[in-house]
Amino acid sequence: MNLFSPQYSPDPCYLMPKVLRVLLWTAISLLGAFALATVALHRGEQINAMWLVVAAVATYAVGYRFYSSFIAAKVLAIDPLRATPAERLDNGRDFVPTNKWVVFGHHFAAIAGPGPLVGPVLAAQFGYLPGTLWIIAGAVLGGCVQDFVILLFSVRRDGKSMTEMAKTEIGKLGGFVSYVAVISIIIILLGAVALVVVNALKSSPWGTFTIAMTMPIAVLMGLYLRRIRPGKVLEASVLGFVLVLAAIFGGQWVSQSPSWAAVFTLSGATLAVLLIIYGFAASVLPVWLLLAPRDYLSTFVKLGTIALLAIGIVVLRPSLHMPPLTRFIDGTGPVFAGTVFPFAFITIACGAVSGFHSLISSGTTPKLIRHEPETRMVGYGGMLAESMVAVMAMIAASVLQPGVYFAVNSSAGLVGQAPETAAATITAWGFPVTAAEMASLAHAVGEQTLFNRTGGAPAFAVGMANIFSNSLGGQAVMALWYHFAIMFEALFILTVLDAGTRVGRFMLQDALGYIWKPLGRTSWYPSILITSGLMVAAWGYFLWQGVKDPLGGINSLWPLFGICNQLLATVALCVATTIIIKMGRARYVLVTLIPLGWLVAVTFTASYHKVLNANPRIGFLAHARQLANAGADTRLIFNDRLDAAVAGVLVVLVAVVLIESALEWTRVLSGRKAAEVREAPFVMTRLALEEQP
Amino acid sequence: MRPVPCGTGSPARETMAAKTDRAKASAILSPITRVLTVLVAALREIFDESAYERFLARSEVTSSPAAYNDFLREGETAKARRPRCC
Repeated sequence: MNLFSPQYSPDPCYLMPKVLRVLLWTAISLLGAFALATVALHRGEQINAMWLVVAAVATYAVGYRFYSSFIAAKVLAIDPLRATPAERLDNGRDFVPTNKWVVFGHHFAAIAGPGPLVGPVLAAQFGYLPGTLWIIAGAVLGGCVQDFVILLFSVRRDGKSMTEMAKTEIGKLGGFVSYVAVISIIIILLGAVALVVVNALKSSPWGTFTIAMTMPIAVLMGLYLRRIRPGKVLEASVLGFVLVLAAIFGGQWVSQSPSWAAVFTLSGATLAVLLIIYGFAASVLPVWLLLAPRDYLSTFVKLGTIALLAIGIVVLRPSLHMPPLTRFIDGTGPVFAGTVFPFAFITIACGAVSGFHSLISSGTTPKLIRHEPETRMVGYGGMLAESMVAVMAMIAASVLQPGVYFAVNSSAGLVGQAPETAAATITAWGFPVTAAEMASLAHAVGEQTLFNRTGGAPAFAVGMANIFSNSLGGQAVMALWYHFAIMFEALFILTVLDAGTRVGRFMLQDALGYIWKPLGRTSWYPSILITSGLMVAAWGYFLWQGVKDPLGGINSLWPLFGICNQLLATVALCVATTIIIKMGRARYVLVTLIPLGWLVAVTFTASYHKVLNANPRIGFLAHARQLANAGADTRLIFNDRLDAAVAGVLVVLVAVVLIESALEWTRVLSGRKAAEVREAPFVMTRLALEEQP
Repeated sequence: MRPVPCGTGSPARETMAAKTDRAKASAILSPITRVLTVLVAALREIFDESAYERFLARSEVTSSPAAYNDFLREGETAKARRPRCC
């Protein structure tokens, strides 16, 4: 059987007799149910990480085999005979019919960023159970569905973007709100992830040196690709990776040299300024010099490290020290404040449901799809793979002793600056840890301290170093593993920063072009400088506010980012629901309506709490009032009010889209408006027929 | 071809045995080769090597710094507009 044939079934059991298939899927379902029950009901002794892996893999397998094929056949009526835009508009550049496994790899590399690593680490403060269940169920019933249907709808509309589909299917307001949501999410995302890097690198000469070195390495790669071996990107990436490994080794020497260590020991504020300058430079410099090679290097390291982590967890099968539920489900958590509902569900966006994916599913990917049925594997399957990465991040956080986890992730404003005070506070919460234990761990990973390293990245790095050092090299190389993990996270966060700044810059140029035409010219240098400056100033402001926040910044920025991301998913699911109704498939509308309803409940409740909750650790306005009463700096008060305004405005806009969508559904269902599906006209595929075995 | 010890059979039978061995080896290797081929193809697509090859074929030029320059210039806007998720 031809692997690339459209008739090829991704289900390896396709050729089995029916009885065997039924038995196999019954066994997988029972195994998954048993593993999920073990994860959910186990109390007392430690649980092995493999239970989480088995629960996830079995659920994903059943979800993919049955739920996604139900959606493909009944809801979307996928047509193997319909030519895709990649076939019809093939120009060898934007539209290229590509093998499904290749598109899968391409799509996965674009959707998997720092989010599925950071979110689960932060949500582990509730225990491993709420986050794990949300990652698995959210992905199978929500995130994968969103990515799959948006991808298919974009394929049927010649690769139209999500904002264009929102405009044509819901109305002009839908398009406008999607645009505002996208730009807001980019700004807040960049501010939040930049803060993660700052918190990971502050007072860490080893980490700062390694990351600083990735910039000349990227430039070197760019020059190698342009002058020495044109187009040999894999070769240049391997070379870059070897140099990055050398930089990690060199970082150890730097951290031990008193003079060099002083140069690379930077405060949070200094790092923030440097990142802002970097973001601006990366946006205005030619793509080939910095952005493209960094992107290649980061993707290379990302794919390799994720594979390594997966192998490490399966081979080493570590035990989880974190309990399934902690006392912090009541909302008093030190990592971020807020009860398990709704905050666990907005903290983990990427890995469960991420609105940002709808931009990728309606960006490059639909222009590469060769046959309609392949959207199932790329859209639904790609999100399952990202969800698995999130489960691995949850495991990495949960293998840590809870006392260590909370010592790393709690801000100084909450547990105290002095190590003894912080250790005593955390021990009093019921999670024993000592200052000596933390000092020894910090020494083992080559850091001056591990207290108050909020943001998720250091905790993930300690967890990953812990897993690997148990077999590969032992305690002697724990510091190398830790700094490898920090480099890996910071590298692709910086890639998100420079790519995001550029994408935002182009969006701003497109919008400002309506006001004054020259500003819309993407190659006009004054326009590049102005729009890059505006983008960097916007996310830089959020970064700066996070650095100056006495509660560590992540407490306010990450929930805000989660809310924006899930609100974008709400818009995407509104678009999907509208199209399903217009296709005359209203009886299956629950497929998108259930995740949509859940996201509305989660995001609107979370926004309400973040804006109006009377607890100053949760509500922005309550915190502003508390600061005002204490006579604090007016800038801090303004920051809280700004965060409240951002959350409030976005919720109002998305509520308007919801109402507009609901009105459109009513009009179509009652027959007052003709159900007009704005798909590209049907053209019979030639590729599928040519590829018949 | 493997060295055949004396007295193990006629040349025709030996050829048959060798053919069977090769068929068995290729049956084992075939899925592995196929997976590796797809893996390399995916990596080449992710890292834009395939896009560069398509560009060379479309422009009917051979690889050179100047051709790579043109390729980068052509794809610059598309690449810079490509979002990377969080």
